[in-house]
Amino acid sequence: MEGITKRFGDVVANDNVDFSLEEGSIHALLGENGSGKTTLMSVLYGLYEKNAGTISVNGETRTFDSPRDAMDAGIGMIHQHFQLVDTMTVLQNIILGHEPTSSGLVDKDSARADIEEICSHYDFNVDQHLDTKVQDLDLGSRQRVEIVKSLYRGADILILDEPTAVLTPQEIEDLLDVMEELADAGHSLIFITHKLGEALQTADEITVLRDGEAIGTVDTAETSEEELARMMVGREIQFDRPSRDPSTGASVLEASGLRVRDDRDLEQVSGVDLSVQEGEILGIAGVQGNGQTELVEALTGLRDVDSGSVQFHGKDITETNRRQRIKDGIAYIPEDRTTEGLVQDYTLVRNALLGNQTVEPFVENGMIDWDSVDEHAGDIIEEYDVQPPDKSTEAKSLSGGNQQKFIVGREIEHNPDVMIASHPTRGVDIGSIEFIHDRLLELRESGMGIVVVSSKLDEIQKLSDRIAVMYEGEFIDTVDPVETTEEELGMLMAGHNTTEGDIPRENTPSGGVQS
Amino acid sequence: MLRASVFERLAIATASTALALIIGVSIVAAAGYDPVQFITSMIEGALGGQSAIARTLRFSTLFILTGVAVAVAFRAGVFNIGVQGQFVVGGITTIMSIIWMAPLLPEGVVGGVALIIIGSLAGTLAGGAYGALPGALKAYADANVIITTIMLNFIATGVVGWLVQNPLRGEGNAAPNTERIPEYVSFPNILFDSPSFSVIGLGIALATVVVIYVVMERSRFGYDMVTSGHQESAATYSGVSAKQTVVSTMALSGMVAGIAGAVFAIMIQGYYTDPSGIGTYGFDAIAVSLLAANNPLGIIPAGLLFGGLESAGSHIGIYTDVPVQLIDGVIGLVILFVAVPELFRMAAVRTGLGGDR
Repeated sequence: MEGITKRFGDVVANDNVDFSLEEGSIHALLGENGSGKTTLMSVLYGLYEKNAGTISVNGETRTFDSPRDAMDAGIGMIHQHFQLVDTMTVLQNIILGHEPTSSGLVDKDSARADIEEICSHYDFNVDQHLDTKVQDLDLGSRQRVEIVKSLYRGADILILDEPTAVLTPQEIEDLLDVMEELADAGHSLIFITHKLGEALQTADEITVLRDGEAIGTVDTAETSEEELARMMVGREIQFDRPSRDPSTGASVLEASGLRVRDDRDLEQVSGVDLSVQEGEILGIAGVQGNGQTELVEALTGLRDVDSGSVQFHGKDITETNRRQRIKDGIAYIPEDRTTEGLVQDYTLVRNALLGNQTVEPFVENGMIDWDSVDEHAGDIIEEYDVQPPDKSTEAKSLSGGNQQKFIVGREIEHNPDVMIASHPTRGVDIGSIEFIHDRLLELRESGMGIVVVSSKLDEIQKLSDRIAVMYEGEFIDTVDPVETTEEELGMLMAGHNTTEGDIPRENTPSGGVQS
Repeated sequence: MLRASVFERLAIATASTALALIIGVSIVAAAGYDPVQFITSMIEGALGGQSAIARTLRFSTLFILTGVAVAVAFRAGVFNIGVQGQFVVGGITTIMSIIWMAPLLPEGVVGGVALIIIGSLAGTLAGGAYGALPGALKAYADANVIITTIMLNFIATGVVGWLVQNPLRGEGNAAPNTERIPEYVSFPNILFDSPSFSVIGLGIALATVVVIYVVMERSRFGYDMVTSGHQESAATYSGVSAKQTVVSTMALSGMVAGIAGAVFAIMIQGYYTDPSGIGTYGFDAIAVSLLAANNPLGIIPAGLLFGGLESAGSHIGIYTDVPVQLIDGVIGLVILFVAVPELFRMAAVRTGLGGDR
């Protein structure tokens, strides 16, 4: 793939990306959420039409208008969300769309023989399940069914989109073994992931994407977790860190011994202590998927905690729900603006009420005062420069940056005591990034306690008074942004806390953050 | 079309109805009956004279109430297919509470009004409780609402059928009916001199529409509910509890179905009978609601259209020799043409398989 560019409206998802896959090797495509990995592969698989660039397979330039074209060229993709029919058997799923027929009827016997041959060739344990319904299989087996399905269709090149995301640690090991076997047998694999360790363990080569650009391709043998982490999150724009006075306020939000499980019941936060003071920004850095999402959900009241407690102004709020915490004054800029922060087919006026359902004067005695909500929407649009400045537009027609500005404005106008901002500038244009940063710094000056979760190092270093680095569900260390280099942060994000003593620790008066 | 203007919607509904009738009448003609007479009887049955209009409005009253019950749930993204069951439970509760309370209150207008209020309240609450049950099953046991509400319809019909045959059967009744409620417990005849329709019933239906409209558009509860229906993750983000919302949505939907049951019991029947023979208002209501795009105000014209068709159907059944199956078929065609496209569009949007949002 050469010079691939893919734009969605005015957002560039892939910018002049080069990518080449060697035959019989595993090539990892590494990057944060939204860095353009899946987009690039969807272009390759014929799901998206590219704006520029060329794709060639085995030296031959090809154009794929649909996945069917890509399949014909021997490319198979295993999506993050399995494309299987749960109520059909494994055999039916594998042959679906490519049924062998004899005199007009599906020839199950020859299909069965072909599948058994594939399975015995690679030592998959799929063949004994051929007559089991997919819904009765665990996720690891379903994934193998997907792989067998692609192989059955004659795929030489397999794209695996975040294949480990839904698996348990043991299933992940099995999958990585399977991948190596496939490569040994001459298949070529593209492995999309944001996990450094898996990429290093399995891949022959690793290409890192960041903000839609290919940062570089490295040989696995010649790289390290630290280098990869830096490449993933590295510095793009030189932000000036504004000078500031140290915060001296009282602690507003504290958590101690927090343990939280995700939807798969796996522990994602394993004993986090944190404390945020008035007039302070606590940055939480880390490679995505190390428990930040679950931590934020526990702090905002969206997820139950396993053990530990959350205190707000010294009061235990561990058991209170999101609505109560909104009333108390904990505002939240969510990680995902399209599914959480805005109702896509509501107008901006209706969206201005989202999260404000218990706030006067918008709602009094359970009844909505649409006039004041309407006025509020107008104020947010004006103050936060939302384009187009039309409150009757539906949220979905706004660009990402403008959606984000609207959310930031709405949450700030709550006048909360604590603001939790999760990836506040992800996928936002540079102008809006500066704008959102300025607002957050103003809030800090006005005495609000702020938590910023971000995987962008530049953002974290610019905004934070203290940086807590999260790795595998724990705060591995808490550092002073001024005295810590990018390399040191990259090392911590990769889980190496070998610099004890080298990094000057901040003296945290009221409990602070411990690893 | 989900976002089509009111005018477009009315135009589409009229065109679909006309097209369905043309096809229906062709079938009637092909089957060897007089198509002109069929059409005339239809119009006569729906609008020809005071008693026809009273009958149309009687059906419309029930379609509007049950239609609103369905719309409340559908707007919140909860597929309550159990309006029929909630309607039945509301109806029998109304009748029995009136029968049990009647001896304790004075006869006459004062007692009648008091009993109507008590009976309607009891019916509303019972319908609400019967709706909240599958809501709670969804919230706390993750049971599919479509399936549980369908099953609860059968349970309501079966249990009430047994009750009116056995313990609640009126003394000396040959038929499986309860006792009659006292004569003075009835809606007054205003404008129409009909034993089974009163403007009061229609007034209750219209008032319910207005109340539900205000709840949906102006109250926090309504906003939470509708937001859950549009985008559950955003509702959760804003502090709405998905579990509580599904229970309260089902309870509200069931309460409206309970009001429908109460109006049916007091205005039309005056006693309760085996529910397998009382009509399928709760199911037809799904089509009514879909035709109105689940908008409470749109339920009024949709309910009037369905009331007219139902009324025309019963008239033709009595006064012409066209077999009743053929009439039902023609009415079914109208539903197919008018409401089913909306159903598919909604299903497509919800399943993400296509359709415009």
